Amino acid sequence: MRKLLLLLLFVAGCSKGPRADVPAIGAARSLGAEWALVNEEASRGHLTAVYVKTMRQQLREQLQTNASSLRQPDSRYSVEIQALLAEPDGAAPEELRAHSNKLKQIEDGLESA
Amino acid sequence: MNPLELTLGIMTAVGGFVDISELVFAAKAGSLFGYALIWVFALSTIGIMVFGEMSGRVAAVAHQPVFNLMRHRLGLKLGLVTLFASVLSTLITTAAELGGVGLILHYLTGAPYLLMAVVGVLVLGASMWVLPFQWIERTYGLLGLMMIIFAVALVAIHPPWREVAGGFVPQVPKGLSTTELLIFGYFMVAIISAVMFPYEAYFYSSGGIEEQWGPKDLPNNRMTTTVGFALGSLLAVSILASSAQLFGPMNVGPEVAGSSALEAAIPFGRTGLLIALGGMLIAIAGAAVETCMANAYSVAQFFGWEWGRHKKPWEAPRFTLAWIIFFLLSLAIVLTDVNVMSLVEYAVLFSIVVLPLTYLPLMLLANDKKYMGQFANKWLAKSLGWFFFAVITAAAIAAIPLYLLTSGGQA
Repeated sequence: MRKLLLLLLFVAGCSKGPRADVPAIGAARSLGAEWALVNEEASRGHLTAVYVKTMRQQLREQLQTNASSLRQPDSRYSVEIQALLAEPDGAAPEELRAHSNKLKQIEDGLESA
Repeated sequence: MNPLELTLGIMTAVGGFVDISELVFAAKAGSLFGYALIWVFALSTIGIMVFGEMSGRVAAVAHQPVFNLMRHRLGLKLGLVTLFASVLSTLITTAAELGGVGLILHYLTGAPYLLMAVVGVLVLGASMWVLPFQWIERTYGLLGLMMIIFAVALVAIHPPWREVAGGFVPQVPKGLSTTELLIFGYFMVAIISAVMFPYEAYFYSSGGIEEQWGPKDLPNNRMTTTVGFALGSLLAVSILASSAQLFGPMNVGPEVAGSSALEAAIPFGRTGLLIALGGMLIAIAGAAVETCMANAYSVAQFFGWEWGRHKKPWEAPRFTLAWIIFFLLSLAIVLTDVNVMSLVEYAVLFSIVVLPLTYLPLMLLANDKKYMGQFANKWLAKSLGWFFFAVITAAAIAAIPLYLLTSGGQA
């Protein structure tokens, strides 16, 4: 059992390069899409101001954590996450979705590679 | 059987069914795999019905709390191992729930999250100090019925009902890659753990003793655990189905706990949002109280201390001190600023590993005619008990490898 666990730890730790960043890319893709959804619903008057503010703050904090955890900081996806982070809080949902969709394409590409 | 008591018991079970881990994993599961994981919720709900009913029956017939009987049955050494593992997993669960309370208060008020976690602990601690058991259970359970907004929201967004119903059929989606299959497996394990958390059996059976159940209460116990848990589980399924309909197509994970409230805000606007946040707050707060008390019950029962919320706090001083300490330890974990979503994952992971240790002794006790007499498990309860024991054992073995291989369900 101990040998099996050590082997699994080894396999799990073996991912190198961009593939190791796939979880972070997936999380960033989702965070961008959640931000877009929050802004879209806020523009329709469906949300309270406090909820919108706290969600945006939390989403941005999580994105920052994600960006700093990347193993390939000069990669295409890192640039895309930085571009997402550079968006203002009240950015248009379409803009945010465009970043999220690009990250999704990169994520899918890395997963199928 | 008093119909009013029965209705209240069922409604309390419904309102108290969902906690932060079910909220998180239902929303993520729906967004990632559509309706394909609904059957795992249904299967696990039958599992918690089986073990919940057993734990209530043991309390009503043997008039002994589960952990007291467990010590006699397992012996001191193995009993201590079970106690330690169970306390640790439930402590992490309490921390996850308290973190969730802080977060929801943060979404509602805008005040700092950690401050809100502290406020949450003070308010919940005060309610536990002041209220007797039945009031604690009923207050959180009945107010938790606000969670019904998620079921109403699902109806309002007109999901494809045939596909939703198809989700109740056991399946693995076709065409998944190896990575996606592993993630699907991880979510199966996480949902089983989230629905069948070990603290539920401790809390439920200790409640039976607090309320002085006897054999006459067994029909009530059966109805509460079957009807109440089934209806409660439908709320979790509603969150999953709404997520499949609203979040999946938009690439939303979701990665933060507050996103689930959007499921009610999209069809019902601000009113929906506030009811959803209110329901989530009460449901998670109720789970925080239950997990904390479950730990205090376990320790007090194992060591033979005076225990119970039917007594004044100072009449059971070590029990009172235990729940206060468990609350403060959980708060200390939250105050390290660990991510709440990570806490939820650790809670689910630790709990599934402990589950077989929790439910095996319970099942052996319920099978034992020496303790249970004519109310011992019959063939159906025995068969279902062994089947679900096999399920949770397989899930416990698979949990850590799946967590490592999928980076906690992410890739």
